[in-house]
Amino acid sequence: MDTKDHNPDLTNPGVMTPDTTMGNFAIGYELDGTITRDAHVTSPEGMEVPQGEQQTKKTATPLQESLRRLRRDKRAMISLSVILLFILIPIFGPLIYQHIGGPYTSSVCNCQIGPNVYHNPYHQELDRLDELPSSQYWLGTDAIGRDSLARLMQGMLVSFMVAIMVEIVDIGLGVSIGVLAGFYGGWIDQVLARFTDIMFAFPGLLFAILLTGIFGSQADSAFSSIPIIGANGNARLILVSLALAITAWPLMARYVRGQSLQLKEQQFIEAAHTSGTSNTRIIWRHITPNLFSIVVVAATLNLSATIIGEAGLSLLGLGVQAPGSSIGLMISDASGSIAVHPWEIILPSLMLTIIVLAFCFLGDGMRDAFDPRSKD
Amino acid sequence: MSQFLIKRFIGLIFVVIGVTFITFLLGYFAPGDPIRGLLGNHFDPHLYANLRHSYGLDLPWYQQYWNYLSGLFRGNFGYSFAQQNRSVWDILKDGVPVSFELGFWALLLALIAGVPLGIISALRANTWVDTVNMGTMLILYALPAFVLAIFAQLFIVWIDTHSGLSWPVAGWGNVWQYDWNNLQPKIVPILVFAATETALYARLARNSMLEVLRQDYVRTARAKGMRERTVIYRHSLRNAMIPLVTIFGLSIGLLVTGAFFIETIFNIPGIAQISITSINARDYPVMQATVVLLAVAVVIGNLISDILYSVVDPRIKAS
Repeated sequence: MDTKDHNPDLTNPGVMTPDTTMGNFAIGYELDGTITRDAHVTSPEGMEVPQGEQQTKKTATPLQESLRRLRRDKRAMISLSVILLFILIPIFGPLIYQHIGGPYTSSVCNCQIGPNVYHNPYHQELDRLDELPSSQYWLGTDAIGRDSLARLMQGMLVSFMVAIMVEIVDIGLGVSIGVLAGFYGGWIDQVLARFTDIMFAFPGLLFAILLTGIFGSQADSAFSSIPIIGANGNARLILVSLALAITAWPLMARYVRGQSLQLKEQQFIEAAHTSGTSNTRIIWRHITPNLFSIVVVAATLNLSATIIGEAGLSLLGLGVQAPGSSIGLMISDASGSIAVHPWEIILPSLMLTIIVLAFCFLGDGMRDAFDPRSKD
Repeated sequence: MSQFLIKRFIGLIFVVIGVTFITFLLGYFAPGDPIRGLLGNHFDPHLYANLRHSYGLDLPWYQQYWNYLSGLFRGNFGYSFAQQNRSVWDILKDGVPVSFELGFWALLLALIAGVPLGIISALRANTWVDTVNMGTMLILYALPAFVLAIFAQLFIVWIDTHSGLSWPVAGWGNVWQYDWNNLQPKIVPILVFAATETALYARLARNSMLEVLRQDYVRTARAKGMRERTVIYRHSLRNAMIPLVTIFGLSIGLLVTGAFFIETIFNIPGIAQISITSINARDYPVMQATVVLLAVAVVIGNLISDILYSVVDPRIKAS
């Protein structure tokens, strides 16, 4: 499954060179005549960014153009709304779900419990095992009587949290090191190249498996005292995210490096150099903003790999631990009774399928929108 | 040409050393004392010191690493912590052929199915054939291997309950034996594994073929009035295969990892399962050996693809 990490469509780092778009711009401006060339040149930052603030109604910035293309892509927009829905459900779902349903006389404690108890992802109702969907348990219960919908929502939350944490590290490390390697070259570039070579030799998830396998139990005890994460078996997620981020960032750094190498040779950078702009300022003001589209596309495409990675690690028992919930853990819990209670394994697998496909379609759509030249 | 290969080869040795160093460090800094855990309640300081010495754990880290590395080059992976008196290779040697067999058939099937599917899609680009074909391939490509494996298992169970067949859901037969009893459990895992690889090849083949068909020389060939078959088979196909060669080399190594989940779900006693068991048993030497083995497979795959690449495409020699 890890072949997916190395997306062949993106391995060419030359995507999204700004030169052609810039060229189109100049022409567009001249034809329109809304902004004269002179005004354009004399504006201090105007050379490379006629985007954003100073554009008029008729000319769209590259970003607006891309967003317009993205909006027209039906598949990507449907995927985007599915993703948004699936982010909202685990955030607000439990709040609502735990208030729906009447009191229920539990045989465990012989007392009445409300929906805030039996719709809790950790609560076990020991005589309500392996149920199909009902009005009390909307998506049924698992093998030890826990509410599947509550656990599924918790699992989706875990998936998205891990995805966000991984992307923060991935973009942070990937962009900063990629830019430095591309702009300065030299030893940073050499070290980056060697490091990526080594990381690519670890087949896909293997490094993450190794890291979580060795340090997993230590992470459990180390991180479970942190208040928000708590002792619900989610402590290992920090380690999982870290491991996935370490495997992900070299690829991002490679894309960014390739892009900055190309940007560095552009005329507007040369112009900035000539007018005495410092290297730091060039990197911040002129190179980094131009990396936006490639970073967004690469990050989106990486998201599905991250979600698969977390689910896979939890499936192998290396991610979220027992009382906690994760899509991968639900699959692994249900895999023992696949012949008798197929519903329990179909539910998380189907959910994972939908999430992964949505991210994949969105990523494809983003690439087509932000980099029209890569289209067939 | 030879200079290029030598350069690549030196790079590969560097990568192997890097990979072994990282895995060594992870094992070295692993929490808990494996020997301590091994002795459990029967702790005896003398025996403890003896065991540590025989595993070489009392040496400083650089000496440990050197011993490990020099052992690797002699084909000695060290000794298992969890199963004493067994060398790591002794544990691995049953798993390697199983994983290789799974990967071999899957890759073969993927090549046979994937490349033609991609070519057909490219020749009928933007028709319904292309849309249906590539839609399926995109879904196969995007889905994690373990989800496919689970759906395949569900399908077997469904067939079994409805038809009275008793098709095995998990397990593996004897290696390289193909009478019905041995073949039966192998079919589904191989098909599932092949499906994910097929999708990769089909997508690549389509893109690469479309790229070639857009070239000037193809237009020239058509303009000369050459038969379409000649244009496609003699002019385009060979050039379209060049990027596939690279991926083929890569998948030789990568095949082993895709199997990680497939081996777990179908309960196949391959190298991935050994690796998982050793992680749970905190048997670091076995774990390190599996990682190094897989990484070396990837690296050799890279080298093979480099060699094939320079053979197939003469233009590459210059760089």
